[in-house]
Amino acid sequence: MEREEDDSVSEVLRDRFRLSTISIAEAEAKRSGMEISEPVVACISDLAFKFTEQLAKDLELFTQHAGRKSANMEDVILCAHRNEHLAALLRSYRDDLKAKEPQSDRKRKKASKKDDRAPEDIVHVPDI
Amino acid sequence: MEEYQTFETDLIHAIFKLVWSRRALERQLLEGTDALDGEVGAGTSKKNRPTSANANALKLSCELLRNFVTEAVQRAATIAEAEGTDKIEATHLERILPQLLLDF
Repeated sequence: MEREEDDSVSEVLRDRFRLSTISIAEAEAKRSGMEISEPVVACISDLAFKFTEQLAKDLELFTQHAGRKSANMEDVILCAHRNEHLAALLRSYRDDLKAKEPQSDRKRKKASKKDDRAPEDIVHVPDI
Repeated sequence: MEEYQTFETDLIHAIFKLVWSRRALERQLLEGTDALDGEVGAGTSKKNRPTSANANALKLSCELLRNFVTEAVQRAATIAEAEGTDKIEATHLERILPQLLLDF
């Protein structure tokens, strides 16, 4: 029964994920002036979902290997280390994200950020 | 051009949490801790608490996933274009799939 509950939750997530994928894929197809057929989008969405699950597992392993409880940006980049271009892309994205935080008071900001946006920052036990 | 679409961090977060709590539960069962603990919440025992992620890591994961989807579309689009059609069909995806999966 635990499992069933789990499945229905993952069903909802899968649908939400599919919707996101559809909009991304269609926007991308439009950008290159192409049409994209529905089964192709559905297939890409399934692949991406599996990829997400795999990513979660990888992230967990890397995080634990580093002796941490919380995954950080380095762990994500490590997940893409086999593809140099992808890793470089992610690194530059990470630098962008870092640049958004003010350099001088990053440490202070980290502390205050926890208070401000705790639900987003700290991921704990899910309530399923 | 408008800002590109991407995944919502809370959606990806929810999927990650689901996977992590499932695995935490599995670990707990493997170690033979009593099952009651697992039903209350997968995080009761300190050692088996599910992994978490910080906000930037989630944003980066969204970017990675977005890249996966856009790569798939772009590569398939290239094949479709080479065949002279402007609609991406399943056969085009089939052609690019092996390399795509190797690349991610």
